[in-house]
Amino acid sequence: MRRRPGISGLQTAAAARDQYRLLGENVAKIRTDLMKEQLATFRSQLEEFARKHKNDIRKNPAFRSQFHEMCAKVGVDPLASNKGFWAELLGIGDFYYELGVQIVEICLATRSHNGGLINLQELCTLLCQRRKTARDSVSEDDCLRAISKLKKKLVRSVPTELNKDHNAILELAQAHGYVTVEEVEKQLLWSSGRAVDTLETLLKEGLSMIDDGHRDGKRRYWFPCVASASAALGSEALKT
Amino acid sequence: MQKLGDFKLPHFFNYPPYFTLQPVRDTREKQAQLWKELILDYCRSQKIFVIGLEEDFPLFTNPVIERTLSHEARQVFLSALVSEGRAEWMDKGHKKCLILWLRIQDWADCILNFVKENGLEDSVMTVEEIRSGIESRGTELAGIDRTVLTRALRLLEQKGKATIFKGTSADDEGVKFSA
Repeated sequence: MRRRPGISGLQTAAAARDQYRLLGENVAKIRTDLMKEQLATFRSQLEEFARKHKNDIRKNPAFRSQFHEMCAKVGVDPLASNKGFWAELLGIGDFYYELGVQIVEICLATRSHNGGLINLQELCTLLCQRRKTARDSVSEDDCLRAISKLKKKLVRSVPTELNKDHNAILELAQAHGYVTVEEVEKQLLWSSGRAVDTLETLLKEGLSMIDDGHRDGKRRYWFPCVASASAALGSEALKT
Repeated sequence: MQKLGDFKLPHFFNYPPYFTLQPVRDTREKQAQLWKELILDYCRSQKIFVIGLEEDFPLFTNPVIERTLSHEARQVFLSALVSEGRAEWMDKGHKKCLILWLRIQDWADCILNFVKENGLEDSVMTVEEIRSGIESRGTELAGIDRTVLTRALRLLEQKGKATIFKGTSADDEGVKFSA
Protein backbone atom coordinates (compact mmCIF):
# COMPACT_ATOMS: atom_id res chain seq x y z
CA MET A 1 0.00 0.00 0.00
CA ARG A 2 1.33 3.36 -0.99
CA ARG A 3 1.60 5.67 1.95
CA ARG A 4 -0.56 8.74 1.61
CA PRO A 5 -0.26 11.70 3.90
CA GLY A 6 -3.12 13.47 5.64
CA ILE A 7 -6.24 12.63 7.60
CA SER A 8 -7.71 10.34 4.98
CA GLY A 9 -4.56 8.25 5.04
CA LEU A 10 -4.81 7.79 8.82
CA GLN A 11 -8.50 6.90 8.50
CA THR A 12 -7.79 4.27 5.89
CA ALA A 13 -5.10 2.75 8.07
CA ALA A 14 -7.47 2.65 11.11
CA ALA A 15 -10.22 1.05 9.00
CA ALA A 16 -7.79 -1.57 7.75
CA ARG A 17 -6.77 -2.37 11.37
CA ASP A 18 -10.44 -2.80 12.32
CA GLN A 19 -10.93 -5.10 9.38
CA TYR A 20 -7.96 -7.23 10.39
CA ARG A 21 -9.17 -7.39 13.96
CA LEU A 22 -12.63 -8.50 12.90
CA LEU A 23 -11.18 -11.11 10.65
CA GLY A 24 -8.92 -12.34 13.43
CA GLU A 25 -11.84 -12.60 15.85
CA ASN A 26 -13.79 -14.53 13.28
CA VAL A 27 -11.03 -16.98 12.72
CA ALA A 28 -10.60 -17.49 16.45
CA LYS A 29 -14.34 -18.02 16.86
CA ILE A 30 -14.42 -20.52 14.06
CA ARG A 31 -11.54 -22.36 15.66
CA THR A 32 -13.20 -22.43 19.07
CA ASP A 33 -16.45 -23.65 17.57
CA LEU A 34 -14.62 -26.33 15.71
CA MET A 35 -12.83 -27.36 18.87
CA LYS A 36 -16.10 -27.42 20.83
CA GLU A 37 -17.66 -29.50 18.15
CA GLN A 38 -14.76 -31.90 18.17
CA LEU A 39 -14.89 -32.17 21.93
CA ALA A 40 -18.63 -32.83 21.83
CA THR A 41 -18.12 -35.51 19.21
CA PHE A 42 -15.33 -37.00 21.24
CA ARG A 43 -17.35 -36.98 24.39
CA SER A 44 -20.36 -38.56 22.75
CA GLN A 45 -18.13 -41.18 21.22
CA LEU A 46 -16.50 -41.90 24.55
CA GLU A 47 -19.97 -42.19 26.03
CA GLU A 48 -21.04 -44.48 23.28
CA PHE A 49 -17.93 -46.53 23.77
CA ALA A 50 -18.53 -46.77 27.49
CA ARG A 51 -22.16 -47.69 26.95
CA LYS A 52 -21.29 -50.29 24.38
CA HIS A 53 -18.58 -51.90 26.49
CA LYS A 54 -20.29 -51.37 29.81
CA ASN A 55 -20.24 -55.05 30.65
CA ASP A 56 -16.62 -55.49 29.67
CA ILE A 57 -15.63 -52.51 31.78
CA ARG A 58 -17.47 -53.85 34.77
CA LYS A 59 -16.40 -57.44 34.47
CA ASN A 60 -12.94 -57.47 32.99
CA PRO A 61 -10.27 -55.93 35.23
CA ALA A 62 -7.70 -55.58 32.43
CA PHE A 63 -10.19 -53.80 30.21
CA ARG A 64 -11.23 -51.60 33.12
CA SER A 65 -7.66 -50.59 33.74
CA GLN A 66 -7.19 -49.65 30.08
CA PHE A 67 -10.38 -47.67 30.10
CA HIS A 68 -9.15 -45.73 33.14
CA GLU A 69 -5.88 -45.04 31.37
CA MET A 70 -7.68 -43.76 28.30
CA CYS A 71 -9.89 -41.51 30.38
CA ALA A 72 -6.89 -40.16 32.28
CA LYS A 73 -5.19 -39.20 29.01
CA VAL A 74 -8.09 -37.02 27.94
CA GLY A 75 -8.61 -35.59 31.41
CA VAL A 76 -11.82 -37.39 32.30
CA ASP A 77 -12.08 -38.93 35.77
CA PRO A 78 -14.94 -41.40 35.90
CA LEU A 79 -14.57 -41.53 39.68
CA ALA A 80 -14.56 -37.78 40.25
CA SER A 81 -18.14 -37.70 41.34
CA ASN A 82 -20.37 -40.52 42.34
CA LYS A 83 -23.31 -38.63 40.96
CA GLY A 84 -21.65 -37.78 37.69
CA PHE A 85 -22.62 -39.07 34.33
CA TRP A 86 -19.97 -41.80 34.30
CA ALA A 87 -20.94 -43.20 37.63
CA GLU A 88 -24.56 -43.33 36.57
CA LEU A 89 -23.74 -44.88 33.28
CA LEU A 90 -21.32 -47.50 34.54
CA GLY A 91 -22.00 -47.81 38.22
CA ILE A 92 -18.22 -47.61 38.52
CA GLY A 93 -18.26 -45.15 41.39
CA ASP A 94 -20.31 -47.47 43.55
CA PHE A 95 -18.04 -50.32 42.58
CA TYR A 96 -14.97 -48.61 44.02
CA TYR A 97 -16.70 -47.34 47.13
CA GLU A 98 -17.94 -50.85 47.82
CA LEU A 99 -14.45 -52.18 47.21
CA GLY A 100 -13.03 -49.58 49.58
CA VAL A 101 -15.33 -50.68 52.37
CA GLN A 102 -14.41 -54.31 51.79
CA ILE A 103 -10.70 -53.49 51.83
CA VAL A 104 -11.04 -51.74 55.18
CA GLU A 105 -12.96 -54.74 56.52
CA ILE A 106 -10.28 -57.16 55.37
CA CYS A 107 -7.52 -55.01 56.86
CA LEU A 108 -9.26 -54.95 60.21
CA ALA A 109 -10.09 -58.65 60.14
CA THR A 110 -6.51 -59.70 59.37
CA ARG A 111 -4.89 -57.20 61.70
CA SER A 112 -4.34 -59.70 64.53
CA HIS A 113 -2.70 -62.01 62.03
CA ASN A 114 -0.48 -59.60 60.10
CA GLY A 115 -0.16 -56.79 62.62
CA GLY A 116 -1.89 -54.30 60.36
CA LEU A 117 0.29 -54.48 57.27
CA ILE A 118 -0.91 -56.42 54.31
CA ASN A 119 0.67 -57.42 51.05
CA LEU A 120 -1.25 -55.94 48.13
CA GLN A 121 -1.33 -59.28 46.36
CA GLU A 122 -2.74 -61.03 49.40
CA LEU A 123 -5.30 -58.30 49.91
CA CYS A 124 -6.38 -58.83 46.33
CA THR A 125 -6.71 -62.59 46.80
CA LEU A 126 -8.78 -62.12 49.96
CA LEU A 127 -10.97 -59.58 48.16
CA CYS A 128 -11.64 -62.04 45.36
CA GLN A 129 -12.49 -64.79 47.86
CA ARG A 130 -14.85 -62.43 49.64
CA ARG A 131 -16.50 -61.37 46.42
CA LYS A 132 -16.83 -64.91 45.13
CA THR A 133 -20.55 -64.44 44.77
CA ALA A 134 -20.22 -61.19 42.87
CA ARG A 135 -19.62 -61.90 39.21
CA ASP A 136 -17.02 -59.29 38.53
CA SER A 137 -13.40 -59.98 39.39
CA VAL A 138 -10.96 -57.51 40.92
CA SER A 139 -7.39 -56.64 39.96
CA GLU A 140 -4.58 -55.05 41.94
CA ASP A 141 -5.16 -51.93 39.87
CA ASP A 142 -8.75 -51.84 41.14
CA CYS A 143 -7.51 -52.23 44.73
CA LEU A 144 -5.18 -49.27 44.31
CA ARG A 145 -7.93 -47.14 42.80
CA ALA A 146 -10.31 -48.02 45.60
CA ILE A 147 -7.64 -47.26 48.20
CA SER A 148 -6.92 -43.88 46.62
CA LYS A 149 -10.64 -43.19 46.94
CA LEU A 150 -10.24 -43.88 50.65
CA LYS A 151 -7.85 -40.92 50.60
CA LYS A 152 -5.08 -42.98 52.16
CA LYS A 153 -2.14 -44.16 50.19
CA LEU A 154 -0.92 -46.76 52.68
CA VAL A 155 -2.90 -49.77 53.79
CA ARG A 156 -1.68 -49.60 57.33
CA SER A 157 -3.94 -50.10 60.29
CA VAL A 158 -1.31 -50.23 63.06
CA PRO A 159 -1.28 -47.26 65.39
CA THR A 160 2.52 -46.99 65.64
CA GLU A 161 4.66 -45.24 63.09
CA LEU A 162 7.17 -47.48 61.41
CA ASN A 163 10.60 -45.90 61.59
CA LYS A 164 13.59 -46.45 59.33
CA ASP A 165 14.90 -49.36 61.40
CA HIS A 166 11.56 -51.16 61.28
CA ASN A 167 11.34 -50.70 57.56
CA ALA A 168 14.89 -51.98 57.06
CA ILE A 169 13.97 -55.20 58.84
CA LEU A 170 10.72 -55.59 56.93
CA GLU A 171 12.67 -55.22 53.72
CA LEU A 172 15.21 -57.80 54.80
CA ALA A 173 12.42 -60.18 55.78
CA GLN A 174 10.99 -60.06 52.30
CA ALA A 175 13.59 -62.53 51.08
CA HIS A 176 12.42 -65.49 53.16
CA GLY A 177 9.52 -64.23 55.23
CA TYR A 178 11.64 -64.17 58.38
CA VAL A 179 14.93 -62.86 59.82
CA THR A 180 17.22 -63.90 62.67
CA VAL A 181 19.10 -61.53 64.98
CA GLU A 182 22.31 -62.72 63.38
CA GLU A 183 21.10 -61.92 59.86
CA VAL A 184 20.02 -58.44 60.89
CA GLU A 185 23.40 -57.70 62.47
CA LYS A 186 25.28 -58.99 59.47
CA GLN A 187 23.18 -57.57 56.65
CA LEU A 188 22.42 -54.18 58.17
CA LEU A 189 25.69 -53.86 60.09
CA TRP A 190 23.84 -53.15 63.30
CA SER A 191 24.90 -53.74 66.89
CA SER A 192 23.27 -56.70 68.60
CA GLY A 193 21.32 -54.38 70.90
CA ARG A 194 19.86 -52.39 68.04
CA ALA A 195 18.78 -55.55 66.22
CA VAL A 196 17.17 -57.13 69.30
CA ASP A 197 15.41 -53.89 70.30
CA THR A 198 13.91 -53.34 66.89
CA LEU A 199 12.80 -56.96 66.54
CA GLU A 200 11.22 -56.91 70.00
CA THR A 201 9.30 -53.75 69.13
CA LEU A 202 7.95 -55.31 65.96
CA LEU A 203 7.02 -58.42 67.98
CA LYS A 204 5.13 -56.36 70.58
CA GLU A 205 3.29 -54.51 67.85
CA GLY A 206 2.00 -57.82 66.56
CA LEU A 207 3.81 -57.43 63.24
CA SER A 208 6.06 -60.38 63.90
CA MET A 209 5.82 -63.91 65.33
CA ILE A 210 8.68 -65.88 66.86
CA ASP A 211 9.64 -69.39 65.78
CA ASP A 212 11.93 -71.40 68.04
CA GLY A 213 11.32 -74.69 66.27
CA HIS A 214 14.14 -74.80 63.73
CA ARG A 215 16.74 -77.48 64.29
CA ASP A 216 19.61 -74.95 64.25
CA GLY A 217 18.11 -73.56 67.46
CA LYS A 218 18.15 -69.97 66.22
CA ARG A 219 15.06 -67.92 66.86
CA ARG A 220 13.37 -66.76 63.71
CA TYR A 221 11.20 -63.66 63.55
CA TRP A 222 8.50 -64.21 60.95
CA PHE A 223 6.52 -61.41 59.37
CA PRO A 224 3.07 -62.51 58.24
CA CYS A 225 2.69 -59.17 56.46
CA VAL A 226 5.48 -59.85 53.97
CA ALA A 227 4.61 -63.43 53.11
CA SER A 228 1.35 -65.30 53.12
CA ALA A 229 1.37 -68.69 54.84
CA SER A 230 1.43 -70.55 51.55
CA ALA A 231 4.32 -68.52 50.19
CA ALA A 232 6.26 -69.05 53.43
CA LEU A 233 6.28 -72.76 52.82
CA GLY A 234 7.88 -72.26 49.45
CA SER A 235 10.62 -69.96 50.71
CA GLU A 236 11.42 -72.26 53.63
CA ALA A 237 11.70 -75.22 51.29
CA LEU A 238 13.98 -73.25 48.98
CA LYS A 239 16.31 -72.29 51.78
CA THR A 240 16.93 -75.74 53.24
CA MET B 1 -2.96 -77.67 50.09
CA GLN B 2 -1.50 -80.15 52.53
CA LYS B 3 -3.73 -82.99 53.68
CA LEU B 4 -3.86 -85.50 56.50
CA GLY B 5 -5.74 -88.43 55.01
CA ASP B 6 -8.89 -86.80 53.66
CA PHE B 7 -8.60 -83.85 56.01
CA LYS B 8 -7.65 -80.50 54.49
CA LEU B 9 -5.16 -78.68 56.66
CA PRO B 10 -5.45 -74.92 57.10
CA HIS B 11 -2.75 -72.55 55.81
CA PHE B 12 -1.41 -71.68 59.23
CA PHE B 13 -0.34 -75.30 59.69
CA ASN B 14 2.46 -74.58 57.21
CA TYR B 15 3.59 -71.36 58.86
CA PRO B 16 6.41 -72.24 61.31
CA PRO B 17 5.78 -69.64 64.07
CA TYR B 18 2.37 -71.16 64.80
CA PHE B 19 4.28 -74.09 66.32
CA THR B 20 5.96 -71.83 68.89
CA LEU B 21 3.90 -70.39 71.74
CA GLN B 22 3.69 -66.67 71.05
CA PRO B 23 4.74 -64.37 73.91
CA VAL B 24 2.59 -61.39 72.87
CA ARG B 25 -0.95 -61.63 74.24
CA ASP B 26 -2.98 -60.64 71.18
CA THR B 27 -0.92 -62.80 68.88
CA ARG B 28 -1.17 -65.78 71.24
CA GLU B 29 -4.95 -65.42 71.48
CA LYS B 30 -5.22 -65.54 67.71
CA GLN B 31 -2.84 -68.51 67.63
CA ALA B 32 -4.82 -70.41 70.29
CA GLN B 33 -8.06 -69.69 68.43
CA LEU B 34 -6.73 -71.22 65.22
CA TRP B 35 -5.41 -74.32 67.01
CA LYS B 36 -8.65 -74.82 68.95
CA GLU B 37 -10.67 -74.76 65.75
CA LEU B 38 -8.23 -77.09 64.02
CA ILE B 39 -8.26 -79.62 66.87
CA LEU B 40 -12.08 -79.70 67.02
CA ASP B 41 -12.49 -79.94 63.23
CA TYR B 42 -9.89 -82.65 62.89
CA CYS B 43 -11.20 -84.76 65.78
CA ARG B 44 -14.74 -84.49 64.45
CA SER B 45 -13.78 -85.53 60.94
CA GLN B 46 -11.66 -88.45 62.18
CA LYS B 47 -13.96 -89.35 65.08
CA ILE B 48 -11.19 -88.93 67.62
CA PHE B 49 -12.32 -88.58 71.23
CA VAL B 50 -9.13 -88.80 73.21
CA ILE B 51 -5.82 -87.03 72.67
CA GLY B 52 -2.82 -88.27 74.63
CA LEU B 53 -0.39 -85.42 75.16
CA GLU B 54 2.65 -87.61 75.23
CA GLU B 55 1.69 -89.75 72.27
CA ASP B 56 2.23 -88.99 68.61
CA PHE B 57 -0.71 -87.06 67.31
CA PRO B 58 -0.68 -86.12 63.61
CA LEU B 59 -1.83 -82.56 64.23
CA PHE B 60 0.96 -81.75 66.63
CA THR B 61 3.76 -82.32 64.16
CA ASN B 62 4.22 -81.02 60.63
CA PRO B 63 7.03 -82.97 58.97
CA VAL B 64 6.90 -80.75 55.87
CA ILE B 65 8.19 -77.71 57.75
CA GLU B 66 9.87 -79.77 60.49
CA ARG B 67 7.99 -78.25 63.37
CA THR B 68 6.42 -79.86 66.46
CA LEU B 69 4.25 -78.34 69.17
CA SER B 70 6.01 -78.35 72.52
CA HIS B 71 4.38 -80.15 75.44
CA GLU B 72 3.63 -76.76 76.96
CA ALA B 73 1.94 -75.53 73.80
CA ARG B 74 -0.22 -78.68 73.57
CA GLN B 75 -1.30 -78.15 77.15
CA VAL B 76 -2.08 -74.46 76.59
CA PHE B 77 -4.31 -75.08 73.56
CA LEU B 78 -6.13 -78.05 75.10
CA SER B 79 -6.62 -76.15 78.39
CA ALA B 80 -8.21 -73.37 76.36
CA LEU B 81 -10.67 -75.93 74.95
CA VAL B 82 -11.30 -77.27 78.48
CA SER B 83 -12.11 -73.77 79.74
CA GLU B 84 -14.69 -73.43 76.97
CA GLY B 85 -16.34 -76.73 77.80
CA ARG B 86 -15.16 -78.32 74.55
CA ALA B 87 -12.74 -80.73 76.25
CA GLU B 88 -12.03 -82.32 79.63
CA TRP B 89 -8.87 -83.53 81.28
CA MET B 90 -9.19 -87.24 81.99
CA ASP B 91 -6.47 -87.38 84.66
CA LYS B 92 -4.90 -85.09 87.21
CA GLY B 93 -1.57 -85.06 85.42
CA HIS B 94 -3.22 -83.62 82.28
CA LYS B 95 -1.81 -86.34 80.05
CA LYS B 96 -5.07 -87.36 78.43
CA CYS B 97 -7.77 -85.11 77.12
CA LEU B 98 -11.34 -85.93 76.12
CA ILE B 99 -12.37 -83.85 73.12
CA LEU B 100 -16.01 -82.80 72.97
CA TRP B 101 -16.54 -81.62 69.40
CA LEU B 102 -20.14 -82.06 70.37
CA ARG B 103 -20.99 -81.05 73.93
CA ILE B 104 -22.59 -83.71 76.16
CA GLN B 105 -25.90 -81.88 75.72
CA ASP B 106 -25.56 -82.06 71.93
CA TRP B 107 -24.76 -85.77 72.11
CA ALA B 108 -27.89 -86.30 74.23
CA ASP B 109 -29.97 -84.52 71.55
CA CYS B 110 -28.28 -86.66 68.95
CA ILE B 111 -29.32 -89.83 70.80
CA LEU B 112 -32.90 -88.60 71.13
CA ASN B 113 -33.08 -87.97 67.38
CA PHE B 114 -31.66 -91.41 66.74
CA VAL B 115 -34.29 -92.99 69.04
CA LYS B 116 -37.07 -91.08 67.30
CA GLU B 117 -35.95 -91.86 63.77
CA ASN B 118 -35.66 -95.57 64.48
CA GLY B 119 -38.83 -95.83 66.56
CA LEU B 120 -36.90 -97.09 69.57
CA GLU B 121 -39.10 -95.40 72.16
CA ASP B 122 -39.98 -97.83 74.98
CA SER B 123 -37.50 -100.38 73.76
CA VAL B 124 -34.32 -101.58 75.42
CA MET B 125 -30.86 -101.39 73.85
CA THR B 126 -27.44 -102.21 75.17
CA VAL B 127 -24.97 -99.38 75.30
CA GLU B 128 -22.75 -101.28 72.91
CA GLU B 129 -25.61 -101.50 70.37
CA ILE B 130 -25.86 -97.73 70.29
CA ARG B 131 -22.15 -97.46 69.48
CA SER B 132 -21.87 -100.21 66.93
CA GLY B 133 -25.35 -101.51 66.05
CA ILE B 134 -26.77 -101.55 62.53
CA GLU B 135 -29.13 -98.66 63.29
CA SER B 136 -26.35 -96.30 64.18
CA ARG B 137 -24.20 -97.09 61.17
CA GLY B 138 -23.49 -93.95 59.16
CA THR B 139 -24.76 -91.65 61.90
CA GLU B 140 -22.66 -89.45 64.15
CA LEU B 141 -23.24 -92.01 66.94
CA ALA B 142 -21.29 -94.77 65.20
CA GLY B 143 -18.10 -95.38 67.13
CA ILE B 144 -18.88 -92.81 69.83
CA ASP B 145 -16.54 -92.91 72.80
CA ARG B 146 -17.95 -95.00 75.64
CA THR B 147 -17.34 -92.37 78.31
CA VAL B 148 -19.04 -89.70 76.23
CA LEU B 149 -21.98 -91.97 75.46
CA THR B 150 -22.45 -92.91 79.12
CA ARG B 151 -22.33 -89.24 80.12
CA ALA B 152 -24.96 -88.34 77.52
CA LEU B 153 -27.20 -91.22 78.64
CA ARG B 154 -26.88 -90.13 82.28
CA LEU B 155 -27.96 -86.66 81.26
CA LEU B 156 -31.01 -88.16 79.54
CA GLU B 157 -31.70 -90.22 82.67
CA GLN B 158 -31.62 -87.06 84.78
CA LYS B 159 -34.21 -85.55 82.47
CA GLY B 160 -36.38 -88.64 82.76
CA LYS B 161 -35.96 -89.59 79.11
CA ALA B 162 -34.01 -92.81 79.65
CA THR B 163 -33.33 -95.44 82.28
CA ILE B 164 -29.97 -97.15 82.57
CA PHE B 165 -29.78 -100.76 83.77
CA LYS B 166 -26.62 -102.00 85.33
CA GLY B 167 -25.58 -105.37 84.00
CA THR B 168 -23.11 -107.83 85.43
CA SER B 169 -20.28 -106.34 83.37
CA ALA B 170 -19.72 -103.04 81.60
CA ASP B 171 -20.54 -104.70 78.29
CA ASP B 172 -24.12 -105.51 79.02
CA GLU B 173 -25.28 -102.20 80.41
CA GLY B 174 -28.70 -101.55 78.98
CA VAL B 175 -30.80 -98.51 78.43
CA LYS B 176 -34.53 -98.01 78.02
CA PHE B 177 -35.79 -94.89 76.32
CA SER B 178 -39.08 -93.34 77.34
CA ALA B 179 -41.51 -91.92 74.85
